[in-house]
Amino acid sequence: MLILAIDTATSVSSIAVADDSKIIAEITVDNRLTHSETLVPHIEAAMKISEKSKDALDGIAVSIGPGSFTGLRIGLGTAKGLSYALKCPIVGVPTLEALAYHFPVPGVYTAAFADAQKGNVYFGLYSFKEGNIIEVKPVQVLPFAEAVSYCGTLDAPVMMAGDIFRKKSAKKVSLPENCDKAPSNLLLPRAANVALLGMRMLSEGKKGNVMDMEPIYIRKSEAEVLWDRRHPETAAKSEPSSIMIDAISGERGVRND
Amino acid sequence: MIEKDILTLGIESSCDETSAAVLRGGRQLLSNIISTQIPVHQKFGGVVPEIASRKHIVNVMPVIDEALSRANVGLGDINQIAVTYGPGLVGALLVGVSVAKSLSYALDIPLIGVNHLEGHIFANFLSYPDLEPPFVALVVSGGHTALVHVKGYGHFEMMGQTRDDAAGEAFDKVARVMGLPYPGGPQIDKLAKDGNPDAIDFPRALSKSRGNYEFSFSGLKSAVLNYLNSMEMKHQTIVKADVAASFQKAVTEVLVDKAIDALSETGLDKLVLAGGVAANSSLEGRLKHAATEHGVKFYFPGLALCTDNAAMIACRGYYQSLTGKYSALYLNAEPGLSLESRMD
Repeated sequence: MLILAIDTATSVSSIAVADDSKIIAEITVDNRLTHSETLVPHIEAAMKISEKSKDALDGIAVSIGPGSFTGLRIGLGTAKGLSYALKCPIVGVPTLEALAYHFPVPGVYTAAFADAQKGNVYFGLYSFKEGNIIEVKPVQVLPFAEAVSYCGTLDAPVMMAGDIFRKKSAKKVSLPENCDKAPSNLLLPRAANVALLGMRMLSEGKKGNVMDMEPIYIRKSEAEVLWDRRHPETAAKSEPSSIMIDAISGERGVRND
Repeated sequence: MIEKDILTLGIESSCDETSAAVLRGGRQLLSNIISTQIPVHQKFGGVVPEIASRKHIVNVMPVIDEALSRANVGLGDINQIAVTYGPGLVGALLVGVSVAKSLSYALDIPLIGVNHLEGHIFANFLSYPDLEPPFVALVVSGGHTALVHVKGYGHFEMMGQTRDDAAGEAFDKVARVMGLPYPGGPQIDKLAKDGNPDAIDFPRALSKSRGNYEFSFSGLKSAVLNYLNSMEMKHQTIVKADVAASFQKAVTEVLVDKAIDALSETGLDKLVLAGGVAANSSLEGRLKHAATEHGVKFYFPGLALCTDNAAMIACRGYYQSLTGKYSALYLNAEPGLSLESRMD
């Protein structure tokens, strides 16, 4: 299986080309936020370096979140276009699980964080057993300090990773004795991990659908949060949706899938 | 490939509509699919950028798929991709740009980044197969108001634009203060039909300076807000229909005067209306009337092509491709892109 993997969930933009036997090429850039400019040129370069034709791709794996809303959409939009045009399956790989795959070590926990703004993080806790990543705690949003102190209560060493450690505010949070921050080569996501997990998911039949896939945001937009707070009575009501129109015939509500 | 047979796939996602269209040559529109988010943003009283982006990423592929299917062509038949790269909401633009770039790479076909405002002008070429430059274009949209001398398909000269608020912004703000639901423009238009346009004398900024094609609507907007406030303070009844009609007349009068002025300076006999606010029936009516009075032919793209749509982007993209104005795969969204003079 030849797979192209994309991870633009954080300040890192990473592309990998891999098959069942190895990671053939990986381009990982953590420089400035220019994902939207460079992602497709980097894909082009990675395919060229790999000496693989894009028509030979058997799948596209994309880091699906949580993470930067805009970053996730750049990655997913690009992945959707590729999957649709190359007629190959797409799969969304959970971002924090892919990050935790940096540490395939039994007997320790991996705490994977993604910046959720204003001192908060998306926090997922994982362990590793018999070749598989186990989700110990489903991803949730909470203050970074709270997540760290929770990790301090765990019964085994905890390896911590994620872009939150790039934030100044994170430096003020001291780590409990059983916790350690990953070195910079393993601190942030890399597409190689997304490629491996993506291949596994595809072989298990876990395909996404380009027609309705969306990132895992975890959080609603600020505007919706405010609205729900001010109008608790309407919070549970179903939301109006977009309407598709054929602007030539004037037909409304085409294709309600 | 003969130019008239080129198939362009257009993609537009700059604000709250996700759209895709297939165009053969420069004028033959095969499909134009628009997914509008108006119902989604209504309760917030305006477009919420993050929500718009979230809808775009879900709607973009079904819209493209539907555009291809209604055009009865396969993705493999498409020769080039035109996409809006600005101006607009950055997160929204990035969805269209990302998809367009990956399609261009995957299919090995050229990419053309299109200025949304130029696209609005080109909507007219789809409605009028015989329309050719040169002409004067009045562009009136939510964020822009400008008069452009269109000398050729890739040759524009800016005659003037707004110094502050765009006409569309003034419409939206006045509508909001009057408690009208979003989107405000059409609501004011509707309300104004029952009002007296001469009831209140709102100011017309820069309207008397001939040869100056700049616009200013922030003063007018403030005047309307002040009027509403002072009436409220005096506990007098506000006749909303009269306010809407008088405000709308003040806006349209300035636009019409300047457009006619621009025509006489350039000596041209074609006036083209473009942009979302072009859907305003009073503006369209007055311009048409004034144009006829001055012996000028008036063009208006029709309601479906006035609003944001990918057909106009495909059309602009097609003419850009004729002069080799393609984009690299490094194309980025430019939310602050403006309408400027250019000569390709």
